[in-house]
Amino acid sequence: MQRKPCVAQATILDRQSLQSRITSRSLQSRDSTYKTFKYSKQQRAKMATAPYNYSYIFKYIIIGDMGVGKSCLLHQFTEKKFMADCPHTIGVEFGTRIIEVSGQKIKLQIWDTAGQERFRAVTRSYYRGAAGALMVYDITRRSTYNHLSSWLTDARNLTNPNTVIILIGNKADLEAQRDVTYEEAKQFAEENGLLFLEASAKTGENVEDAFLEAAKKIYQNIQDGSLDLNAAESGVQHKPSAPQGGRLTSEPQPQREGCGC
Amino acid sequence: MSDTEGQKESEGQSEGQEMESKRAPSPVTDSPAETPLNAADVTPVNAADVTPVNATDVTPVNTTDVAPVRKTRKRPENKPLPEPKEEASEVSKKEDDSTKKSSEAAVAQGGWGYWGSWGKSIMSTASATVASVGQGISQAIEKAETSLGIPSPVDVSAQIMEEEKEAEEDRGEADGAPALGGAMGMLSSLSSVVQSTGKTVITGGLDALEFIGKKTMDVIAEGDPGFKKTKGLMITTSTLSQVLREAKEREEKQTAEEVSSDTEKKAHYGMLFDEYQGLSHLEALEILSRESEAKVKSVLTSMSGEELAQLKGELEQIKVPFSLVEFDEEEVEEKKDDGGTEFVKELSDVLAELHLSTSADKLGRSIKKAYDSISDMSRPAEGRKQDGEEPEEEVQARAEEVKPYTVEAIHSSAIRSLAQLTARSIEQFHKVAELVLHCESKETTALEQAKTLSQITVVLCREISLLSKKFTSCLTTVGSNEKGDVLNPLITGVFLEASNSASYIQDAFQLLLPVLEVSHIQRRADSTGQ
Repeated sequence: MQRKPCVAQATILDRQSLQSRITSRSLQSRDSTYKTFKYSKQQRAKMATAPYNYSYIFKYIIIGDMGVGKSCLLHQFTEKKFMADCPHTIGVEFGTRIIEVSGQKIKLQIWDTAGQERFRAVTRSYYRGAAGALMVYDITRRSTYNHLSSWLTDARNLTNPNTVIILIGNKADLEAQRDVTYEEAKQFAEENGLLFLEASAKTGENVEDAFLEAAKKIYQNIQDGSLDLNAAESGVQHKPSAPQGGRLTSEPQPQREGCGC
Repeated sequence: MSDTEGQKESEGQSEGQEMESKRAPSPVTDSPAETPLNAADVTPVNAADVTPVNATDVTPVNTTDVAPVRKTRKRPENKPLPEPKEEASEVSKKEDDSTKKSSEAAVAQGGWGYWGSWGKSIMSTASATVASVGQGISQAIEKAETSLGIPSPVDVSAQIMEEEKEAEEDRGEADGAPALGGAMGMLSSLSSVVQSTGKTVITGGLDALEFIGKKTMDVIAEGDPGFKKTKGLMITTSTLSQVLREAKEREEKQTAEEVSSDTEKKAHYGMLFDEYQGLSHLEALEILSRESEAKVKSVLTSMSGEELAQLKGELEQIKVPFSLVEFDEEEVEEKKDDGGTEFVKELSDVLAELHLSTSADKLGRSIKKAYDSISDMSRPAEGRKQDGEEPEEEVQARAEEVKPYTVEAIHSSAIRSLAQLTARSIEQFHKVAELVLHCESKETTALEQAKTLSQITVVLCREISLLSKKFTSCLTTVGSNEKGDVLNPLITGVFLEASNSASYIQDAFQLLLPVLEVSHIQRRADSTGQ
């Protein structure tokens, strides 16, 4: 589903496009309903004082073996809390948070995929149109590191060439049980043109940065023109009418829906 | 294909609108005092008009705005809706003895058997396709009749009941001429209803006409798979949402002038729905649905001859439960106020039949929350009325006992609950899709799952409807001292979003069809491969 750029319309048009894609049933009537929303005076009054407002939406995916802590990273990022026993993710779960890069507010829409092999076929469907990918392994389990090339192949094949991939070595707090050195992972990342960080969903170390670094890189790609926003699969939606200010005020707060638990 | 589909739908649309506009310049003038039959009737005029909770007492004249439009379609018998359609398709399948069988079927299904003979005469002179159309229309007229019967005074309806019994007796003997007498009696009693209650019946009558129009389209759609897909949705939602939309538009114009800090706080369904990740789950579900659709197509193109025909037949069967989603709002009234526990239990039971490891936990929590806030807001209704600002998060504020609730706060809570419940429902369907796609479950078939999912859709939509009624009744109680122009937009808003919610859920359900088809093909391959 392609989100429309402008925020106010992001929600409104989303619903329109959402419906038109599902069925063209009673499209007209619904359109006009939303037009009423769009042009009502209340709406305009609100437009003036938008507290939550963002210029871009980036789609992220989090991939990697089962149990490396993908959902915990997301939970730490959206909730700033560590979730001790997170159940296995079924298919995909979602989280959102608004961050700021170079003074621009960006809404991250994060698709936290299931690591279990049995869901692999399903989760592959979700890679498409991701602007950023967090590829996670567990520094205490070598097997999760060894599987990276398979994850990377998927990520490369199923996303666009501009998708920013960041490698995350999670569970950095468990230094005593380390099974993968920082250096070898760093080298792997460099060889494959990936960003790299070691992080801990438990302590929160580098979690924020992991998401931010990727966003900075994506934003940079937008600025230097290497990422074409008009490309269908860019994974980025831009609000073109930024100078007009936010069209909607009550933009939802950072999401509380981080994990399925 | 999508073009023709769109065209047909827009036809359906305009037909619906036509019906709406036909209703407006009603020629009925026998009681000039009540003129809500003209254009204004869609707009709730005062608070009493918009209390569909009490609307059961069959007065569509005052309540032409919202739910009553559907109320008039009450059926006196507990005839399951899907039955007639199954029959119709059965009839068209077995062309040879279609006439005999269909009339029998029509007779067998309820107390309106005499229309079976009416249909019979058409069918004997028509082709199989036309026959099924006739069949459908006769059923439509039965329904229309039923809706005409509803607004009638008690005594007349008693009379109708009597005649119905007679007809049933007649039916026991033969399905020919004797029943016709019953039909005549029926008609005459109906016409007396028309004379005696005038406007009331006209309203019901227009509904009935509208219904016949829709039913006819359904029957036509029977032979058109592309169109078929959407018809269930049209029946359940288009009329209501149209009425609601018009009402809401008018009200927004009226209240546009009075922008206050209160209205600024109004809940926005779309944003809340997104906040609860409804859009994300829908987006993901759409991806799975699209990909499944492509897979099914490619499998079908790789097949030919008998094999293809067989698979197509099997897939066709899976489609059936997807075209029969209808829920009877009447049932909603019957349910007890149990804080949603019955709903959760029912949903869990049905979900278990899918044989997928999915639970109703999240949905259960949402519904619990919604009911908690309703009971909290309606509890000490008296002595609470105050002016001024209200906390948006009533749920959090629950701890503070004496917090008064404004109608705006209740409205917000209603919209939030609806958005959350809808998002959770769509999430549930999304999870089902994910589990179905990788599932090796041998306990059940895709067809069984399709039937179960259709049932789940009904359960969910019914709960949405129930919840919206609870919230509006709460609004009416708490807002009894409010002016109509404050209260009505809020109530209409709740109904509008409830209607939207139901259509989102049904849309999401439709997205599961290709998923189940793929699953069926997979299971088939597995079983033949071994």
